[in-house]
Amino acid sequence: MTPLRRFRALYGAGPLHLLALLASFAIAGAAVVGWFERPRDVVNVLEWFVAAILIHDLVLLPLYSLLDRIAFGGRPQRIDRAHRTTLRRLVNPTPYLRIPAILSGLLLAVFFPVIFGLGDQTELSASGIPESGYLARWLLTTGVMFAVSGIAYAVAVSRAGAARDPGPEPTPSDPEPAPSDPEPAPSDREPAISMPEPAPQDAEPATPGPAPAPPGPELAAPDAKPAVPGRQSATPDPEPAASSDGVAPSPPSPPD
Amino acid sequence: MCQSHSVRLLRVDPSKPPPGPFRAEFWRSPLRGPWLTAVLGLVLLIGLPIVIVTGLLSNDAYQPGLGANALGRHIGGPLDFYLFGWPTHPSWLYALTQGLHVSIGLALFPVLLTKLWSVIPRLFEWPPVRSPAHALERLSLALLVGSALFEFVTGIINIQYWYAFQFFFTQAHYYGAWVFIGAFLVHVTLKFGTMRRSLTTRADLFDSVSGEGVSPHSGLEAPSLTPVSAAPATMSRRALLATVGAGSILLLLQGAGQSLGGPFRPLAFLLPRGRVRPGPLGFPVNKTAVAAGISAPEVGVSWRLALVGDRTVSLSRAQLLALPQHTYDLPIACVEGWSTTQRWSGVRLRDLASLCGVTEPATVTSRSLEHGTFGHATLGHEQVADERSLLALRVNDRDLSLDHGYPARVISPAVPGVHCTKWVSNMTFRSVSE
Repeated sequence: MTPLRRFRALYGAGPLHLLALLASFAIAGAAVVGWFERPRDVVNVLEWFVAAILIHDLVLLPLYSLLDRIAFGGRPQRIDRAHRTTLRRLVNPTPYLRIPAILSGLLLAVFFPVIFGLGDQTELSASGIPESGYLARWLLTTGVMFAVSGIAYAVAVSRAGAARDPGPEPTPSDPEPAPSDPEPAPSDREPAISMPEPAPQDAEPATPGPAPAPPGPELAAPDAKPAVPGRQSATPDPEPAASSDGVAPSPPSPPD
Repeated sequence: MCQSHSVRLLRVDPSKPPPGPFRAEFWRSPLRGPWLTAVLGLVLLIGLPIVIVTGLLSNDAYQPGLGANALGRHIGGPLDFYLFGWPTHPSWLYALTQGLHVSIGLALFPVLLTKLWSVIPRLFEWPPVRSPAHALERLSLALLVGSALFEFVTGIINIQYWYAFQFFFTQAHYYGAWVFIGAFLVHVTLKFGTMRRSLTTRADLFDSVSGEGVSPHSGLEAPSLTPVSAAPATMSRRALLATVGAGSILLLLQGAGQSLGGPFRPLAFLLPRGRVRPGPLGFPVNKTAVAAGISAPEVGVSWRLALVGDRTVSLSRAQLLALPQHTYDLPIACVEGWSTTQRWSGVRLRDLASLCGVTEPATVTSRSLEHGTFGHATLGHEQVADERSLLALRVNDRDLSLDHGYPARVISPAVPGVHCTKWVSNMTFRSVSE
């Protein structure tokens, strides 16, 4: 066995991998030396460093995934069956609620110190301007985003209705008739089933193959998707409660 | 071989992960996959170097090796270098670099969060350690994620004046950046090939082409990010990216508004610097006279400016006003990313230097009536030599207000705002030969 192969077998990667990692650890070590200039700061910095990882990975990420699941992890396919005759099945409302909710949540996550006035005493002494009213500004921004989204949804619904009325034939003005999509997106890359964005051309053709060609792009609605047996829940992030979904996680078969 | 070796050491069975997130079936979002992670990674690969470079430039602009500028740092350590004397042209240079630092940083935050979401299954991969190489790489990832969150969080709460931490921000943000830079460079080195393959390989072929997910010999290959049992999609990847992009633009506008100022300032409607007081003296203040502990008698008729050089000269405000006055439009640009350009009038620093007998000034240290860390600052020879560097007495054709530094303040092109010392009482010039 050559020395290189022996190294790889013991270490698990090539020597350059080890050298690159050691170099980065050396830089981190030099930075820690800098913090020791103010020894009382070191513990506080370390607390923030570790807390940042733990709070993000084990609290915030599961929390927003769970919130998304509670809010949008319903069973749109079932709802659509119940309202088969209404226009609602033509335009999935979920993105129109979810996108402004995500953006509002993002603004809250970034600007909560100013929204809840956590630094307003410091701000007052810095700028001389009494700082308040950011909570109202955030709420107003949230309201405007939901309102814009609602208008977009109304437009999409009326367009879907107008497109359906002439009959099942695709209208000539349709920008992208589903079958002639020039770039057939691999199903992994574009798993779009619902309409993600207000503009009608964003209605991705559903999974190519088993789904019958819809009369127009707007009709590529959720139930054009072949149902996955036993997997009725439709959620982008069902992890935190996956086992409560009735889908028993089965261990992978042993590779031996 | 190495795999079974290290796994045996840890006494875990790689084929039997504990229930929950350690099992591949737990992660069901159909949006996750190598392509999504690679796209987000590419955006960060383009954007983060801008934030890193502008951050290091800000360190350079502070000229921490000069006089009183170290701000809590021990200058002389291996990472405490600054490369060049900070230029004074163009006068909006620091407004630009620091505006970019804060605005691009804000805009990248949603991208970072989504990137972390896209790879969260890797945190729970099983077995936790496949080889020594894998263990070191995971340690490096802990530094990467920890330092990235640390830098973004401290930066974001600092621009909102919420000093929730006890450590000294400039010091912690600077050294934290170096931890991040080291971990980021090694991450890009190790993952660039994976990112390129993920972007150029058709997703359905990815696993077989890239070798991800196949049984490895090197002990490094991780399971694919593509979920093994995906739930039906309720959102396309394109919609997710569009949402992230919209979030980035919302945050970018906040940063751009406070940086561009003027008619754009109201764009920063969720940042403290989105507001100004009315009138020609209403432009933003970074520390009020009350906060600085300036009392009225200190700045009254008895106020004198001491110029210290080869000899010491004491000047009243009337005497300063009798010297040749010059007027320039110059920005004040703060490390928090806001800036404002105003019309300043006053005496050139180099004229003051020659008054106290220093004909070739190398540096000037200005001391304020304000006490504490920010009560003094040193400008380098680029600044002192520039004819636009003033001891300002008036702004926008009015006497300075007390909050803007009355009776006199320093203003110099392209320096961080905190170096434009207000309520100056003493200026010490050192010549090149010293």
